[in-house]
Order: sequence, then C-alpha cells, then structure tokens
Amino acid sequence: MTLRAEPSADDIPERPRVLLVDDDEVNLLLTSVALQDQGFAVTEAASGEAAIRVLADWLPDIVVLDAVMPGLDGFETCRELRVLPGFESLPVLMLTGLDDDASITRAYEAGATDFFVKSTQWSLLAGRLRYLLRASRTRVELERSKSRLARAQDLARMGSFDWRRGQDGPVFSIEGLRVFGFGPGDQPAFRSLLRMVPEDERKAFLELTHSAMDRSTVLATDIHARLLDGRQRIVHIEAEPEFNEHGNLVGYTGIVQDVTDRRLAEDRIRHLANFDTLTGLPNRRQLIWRAERALDHGRRLGHEVALLLIDLDRFKIINDTLGHGAGDELLMEVSRRLRSCVRHSDQVLESSLESVGVRSHRTLEAVGRLGGDEFVALLPEVVDEADAERVATRILEQMRKPIMIGLQECFVTASVGIAIFPRDGATVADLMRNSDIAMYAVKSAGRNSSSLYRPNLAGKGREKLELESALHKAIERNELVLHYQPKIDVRGARMIGAEALMRWRRHGTLVAPGDFIPLAEETGLIIPLSEWAIREAARQARIWQDNFGFSDSIAVNLPSRLFERTDLVEYIHNAVTTYGVPHHAIELEITETGLMKDLQNVIPSLHRLNEIGVEISIDDFGTGYSSLAYLTTLPISELKIDRSFVRDLGMTPQSSAVVTAIIALARSLGLRVIAEGVENLRQMEVLHRLGCGIMQGFLFSKPQPPEDIERWLQQTVLPKKAPWIGQATAGDTPEPARALRGRESRAKPVGKLT
Amino acid sequence: MRCAVVAAGAVVPGNDARSSIRKTMSQLLCATLLDSDALDRLRELDPTGKTRLMERVLRAFHSSASRLAQQFRDARTSGDMDGIRHVVHTLKSSSASIGALALARLCAEIEGSIRAGAFAALPERLDAMDRELAAVLQAVTPMLSPVDTPT
Repeated sequence: MTLRAEPSADDIPERPRVLLVDDDEVNLLLTSVALQDQGFAVTEAASGEAAIRVLADWLPDIVVLDAVMPGLDGFETCRELRVLPGFESLPVLMLTGLDDDASITRAYEAGATDFFVKSTQWSLLAGRLRYLLRASRTRVELERSKSRLARAQDLARMGSFDWRRGQDGPVFSIEGLRVFGFGPGDQPAFRSLLRMVPEDERKAFLELTHSAMDRSTVLATDIHARLLDGRQRIVHIEAEPEFNEHGNLVGYTGIVQDVTDRRLAEDRIRHLANFDTLTGLPNRRQLIWRAERALDHGRRLGHEVALLLIDLDRFKIINDTLGHGAGDELLMEVSRRLRSCVRHSDQVLESSLESVGVRSHRTLEAVGRLGGDEFVALLPEVVDEADAERVATRILEQMRKPIMIGLQECFVTASVGIAIFPRDGATVADLMRNSDIAMYAVKSAGRNSSSLYRPNLAGKGREKLELESALHKAIERNELVLHYQPKIDVRGARMIGAEALMRWRRHGTLVAPGDFIPLAEETGLIIPLSEWAIREAARQARIWQDNFGFSDSIAVNLPSRLFERTDLVEYIHNAVTTYGVPHHAIELEITETGLMKDLQNVIPSLHRLNEIGVEISIDDFGTGYSSLAYLTTLPISELKIDRSFVRDLGMTPQSSAVVTAIIALARSLGLRVIAEGVENLRQMEVLHRLGCGIMQGFLFSKPQPPEDIERWLQQTVLPKKAPWIGQATAGDTPEPARALRGRESRAKPVGKLT
Repeated sequence: MRCAVVAAGAVVPGNDARSSIRKTMSQLLCATLLDSDALDRLRELDPTGKTRLMERVLRAFHSSASRLAQQFRDARTSGDMDGIRHVVHTLKSSSASIGALALARLCAEIEGSIRAGAFAALPERLDAMDRELAAVLQAVTPMLSPVDTPT
C-alpha cells in the first residue's frame, strides 16, 4: 500500500498531478501544454536528475518519462524512483519511439507501468494517462482489499488454497501456509502436509477427499494436524469444486482454518454438560448415554452389561460433622479410587462405536457420579455376574483404606447394588432401578457389602425400599403430620391432654403408622422422625395455648433408642423454648417393652427429663415383663393400660382382673393410670367402676388433625353433647388420687419457661 | 494541403505585420519544409492564440535545434557516433512536432542506420540532414522576430 491510497474519491483526482520528464524542449513544451489543456497539472523536468530531485519532496499522481535522455535516461530514472518509499505502485508512463521495440521491453523491465509511442496526437496521451490513473486506483483498491482480506483471514486463522487438476497438491495463500505453520516462501508438498495428520485419521481423510473429487462435491471436514514445531492444531477444510466451460472439474478452491480454539471451547462446553465438575467423572447424563450405547452393543454382540450402583455409607455424617468442604474432598478421593477399579475411559471413541464387531464399546467403561454420594460403574461387557461381583469387591476393598481429610482420618464404606443386562432389565432405567433395589438391600442388611439384584428383592421388598427412600425425604417435603387423640377425664368431662400420633401424607393419602413406623425403626429414620414430632408437638401446644388456654401435655411416643441419646433433654428444652411453652407441655411415652429392653441406658435420661418437668408415660403397660422392683424406682408418672385388656373388658374375667391389678399397682406407686382403646360406653363404665377415670379411645375421639380437635372441643365437649358425658359423672366413684397428684406435680415451676 | 498558408498568419496580431509574415510563410510552406497538418494540431492546442503557443514552440525549436546543430557538427568532426545519435534522436521528435517532417524522417533514418550499424550511406544522409536542418532553421528564424516585436 502506498500513500496514494489516501484520496478518498472513488475516481481519479480532479486535476491529476503529472511529472513530465523530457530533455527535448519542444516536446516538453508541447506535451505539457497539451496535458494542461486536458485538465492535468503538469510539472516539467528537463532531465532524469531533475526529475529525481523534484520527487524528493513531492508525490505526483503519475510520471511521464522520455525514454532516451542524456545523463540519467528514462529507464534509469524509472528504476531509481521505484525504490523511493511510496513510489512502488506509482503509475509511470514511458515515452518511446515508434520503431523502438527494445525500449518498450526495457521500459517494462525498468518498472514502467506502460509505454506510449511519441505522437503529436495529444489527446491520445491524455486518454492513456487517465486510463493509467484509473487502473492504478483500481489496483490500489484491490491491494487494499487484499490486505484487508489477508488481515481478516489472519485474525480468523484462515487462508485459502487452490488445487488445479494435475497439480501435485494444493497451492496455499500466505495465510493458508501460516495455518500449517509455514512461512510465505514455503511450498510444502502435499505429502508433507499429509504427514502432519495422525496416521489413523490420514486414510479416512484421503478417502473423503477422493470421494469428493470423484463425485465433484463439496469437501468439508476437520483434521488434526501436528505442525512441524510440534503444536497440535485442528484444521477445518472446506473446498468447492470448480468447473470449466465444458462442465468438467478443473480443480478445487477453498479455505483452511485453524479451529483449534473453537473446538477446545466446544469440548469444554461438552465436558461441562457431560462431566461432574467436582470429581471430573461422567455425570448422570453422560452415564445414561454411555449405558444406552453399551446396551446397544450388548444386544448386537450378545453379551452382558453390568451396572453397579455405589452408595457411600454414612456420608451424611461426614458432611454434617466435618463440613461440606471435607465432604467434597472425600468425594474426590472416593472418585479417584473408584476410577482405579475399572478400565475408566474419559473419552468415548464415538466414530468407531458404530462399527460392528469392534471392541470399541470398551471405551464406554467408566465410573460416573449420579449426584451426592451416589456413583455408578458401567461395565460394558461382562462374562457373567461373577465378573461384576469381582469389580464390586475391588470397590469395597478400595474403600476400606482410611481417607485423610485434612488431619482427620475418615473411614468410608459403600453399599453396591449390581444389575446385569439383559437378565435384570432391558433398559437403562430398569437397570438403574434394579441396581438401586439391590443397593438398598445391602443397606438394610447392614451396609458395606455388595449384592446382585434378585427378583425377590423386588415385589414386597421393592415397595419397602421405595417407601424407605420416600420416607427419607418425607420430613423435608413436609409430608409428615401429627394427629391428636384426646385424653379424657371422664368424670369432669374434659380433655386433660392428648397423644400425638404420626401420620404420613404421601401422594395425597395417609399412610397408616403400622406401614411406616416399623420401617422407620428398622432404618433408624425413627430418630429424625421423633425429633420432628417433639418440635411439632411443642408448636401445637403453643397454638392451643393461644387458641383456648391449653395448659396440659401432649404426649409424644419415643422409641427407647432415642432415650439413649444424651442430647434428648437439650433437644426437648430447645423445642419448647422455641415455641415458648413450659417443659411439661411435652410428655414422653415409651412402651413397656422398649423401656425394659434398654433399662440401664434409659434410666439416666428419664431422671433428667423428670427433673425439668417432662413426664414419662409407660405405654402398652401389661404386655411386657416389667420388673416391679425397677418400676418403683423409675421416675415415671403414668401407666397406660394396653388396649387389648380394655377391648376384652366385660367379656373375659381375666381382662378385668389384669386391669384391676394395674390400677391397684398404679395407685400404690402413686402413678396416674389411663386406659386406651376405649371404644364403647360399657368399657368406659367398667373402667370407671374399677377406678380408672382417665381414658382415651374412639368412644371419645379418634386421632384427628389439631383443628378438628378444637372443633370437637367446641362442638361436642363444651356443650356436653356426647353420649359419654354424664354417664360417668353420674357415678360416685372417686377420682384416682394419683391423677390429682399428677396435676399438682405438673404445676411445679419449670424454670425460665412460661 | 501543403499550401494551407493563411491560417499560420492568424497567430499574428498586427495587420501590417500579417501581410509580411504571410508572404514569408507562404514561401516557407511552399518549400514543403513544414507540414500543415502538424501545424494544425499545434494550433488546436491554442485556438485563440492567446498563449502565443506557436511562437513559443518555434522559439523553443529554434534554440534547441541551433544548439543541436552545433553539437551535430562537433560530433561529426570528432566522429562521435553516440553524439550524432543523440542529436538525431532528439531532433527527430521535435522536428516532427513542428511539422518538419523531411527533417524528422532523415533523423529517423540516420538513427536507424546507426542502431543497425549500417554506416555505408551515412555520410550522404548526414549531409542531407545538415542541409535540411539549416533550411528549417532558416525558415523558422523570420517567423520569430516580427511577431516578437509587433508594430
């Protein structure tokens, strides 16, 4: 590019500046006059030397040179001005004689743009000058546009090439050469370019090229190229066929572009979409994709595929006690160990997956993370289930070694469930579910082991497992509710407390307690469930207190193992404090069997609870084998007569004998006694006659949501509308002494609460 | 066409002078020294005579040709072929410009002969050129002074 590119006008300048060089005065004068007449601004020079002097600080639009001059002749002058900066593409017209062919040749050699045979036809010269100026302008524009293109191509790491038929290989532009790491002067042979392509890709690329040429179609592909300096690049090639006027293919013209960066970005995006960011393992999506490919292969080649579901045991405890950072570290270490247990491939060779018979599906083998502490090992080909079990064993062994998190040594075990295609499922979803079932079977059987899926695990087992997994989430999903059954002082016809009974509202229906409480106890979920119940009962006590002055207790059933927890007292304290109700607002019920089983461990808790005013009631009393000796020393407040005795009251003499004995025992120990499962007036009358005035049962109210209890109080108890009201009050049986004592004991101050 | 005389007088302003020049020029032109077509083309460059182009051109020719005539004689005396060649080359185009076609043709022939190394007939041609040049100069001379100082 020269400075002459500066004028922005599209065409030549209005008065183009001409430097006219001629030693012949007459010609100089005439030509000058003629050109001025034609609209040129002419500067004259009588010799080559004079011309060079003028050009030292002035740039004309065009130079007209007489070829033959004494001293510096036209050719030399042209040569000299061409090397001046900015004069590289200045148009120079050489004036020659008509019969002087040699001069014409020499003129071009000297760098003249054109020649003109001297003539007295002045308009011809002017016309030629205008033509030269236009051509020069066009050329400048072209060069400018070429350089713009070159820059754009450079920025896009792109270059062009041409491939004529019969040529050994493509001819690249400078930018094209740069894409392959060559300099402007290099002329790499096609063979040496091909050698940059990895061997396994080379053949496919050549086939693609030949097939495009054979069919005269567009060629578009990406190739890997290892440049001579060792850099690995990905080059996009795109070429179109060119045809001659007969429609025959004469070659290809196209571009090459270094798309490495773009491809890397694409790879990164793909990686983010398919891999777990914490562990770098394939994520759920990628795993499912791989598993589907693996099943395709299994179907085609008739072999088995194994899916191992790996769930860490007690990971939540680590997360809760050491923090999420530690949990993450642990997951990363676990990931590393799991990877070592299989022939893990990060990348799947997609291209070769389709070819039948090739063992390429091996590259599908991987460990992936489904989320949380759940991992999957995909074994795309196993000989039999023992093969899969061996991997499971390896995994369990790998987990056994302690994991250092910071300075803390952690022990992690895992439960592994195995499902085999096609035996245990025809789809990825089936295999996932069944490996999950097998994994849960391991969990219930005590964890830290592996298990193959068996159909018998499903059915009832499966339901149970699904139930368990759902129950896990029941608390956070607010699916649990408490229903309340009033404890009735029959004589006073009033509610003196309530028992809280847990219900699970699942998919819009209530799950019976018998269907999930045993499961919750089995799995340990009973602990968080009970804790929740304590808080919920405290909350309800507060609502009732506000609504109708409720100041009695809500009884919560607790399993004995909860009493073993040293923080139970604190937990209850926090719960009642949160809602601003007294400690005695919560009463705890423990079954006689549960109490006796863990007596030694439970007693300290009972004492502390009693000290802060939380009363203890023995549930299902009469069914277990209570040690009477202990019973006298336990800090308990209430005995609940088991419903089985109540049910048989008035039907078998034994039942009334037992009930009588329990009431007598309670009296002698100074305990309150309450009968549960009272369903009819006859039972009520008998109990009342025997000396038990506090009852609970369907006769009064079934367990109901708290709002219904309020309504029941409003509409039934206060207006004394129920059939049971008046029956007992008519009698003259004295109220059991213990009941009074109980109420007094409750009136004790309970510290900072209330 | 060769005697298309009158037009040349158009460059001359004064009436008295015009008649005298017309006389001289008709002699010149009829001597077939200057080509009328060539002169027409010159005149086209200055149709109104405002820039007195004709006079400037003839003056330039006269001064350059006189100088070249001297160079030519010197070169002949010393046998300097390059000198001769330079003279005939320059004179070839400038004489053609003012319509001295015979002179231009002679110069071209001589230039061609020298380039071709055909020196046999050269002296005769050089003599002829010398004569023609002198004649043209002589013819041009009177066209300059009267115009230069019009009465």
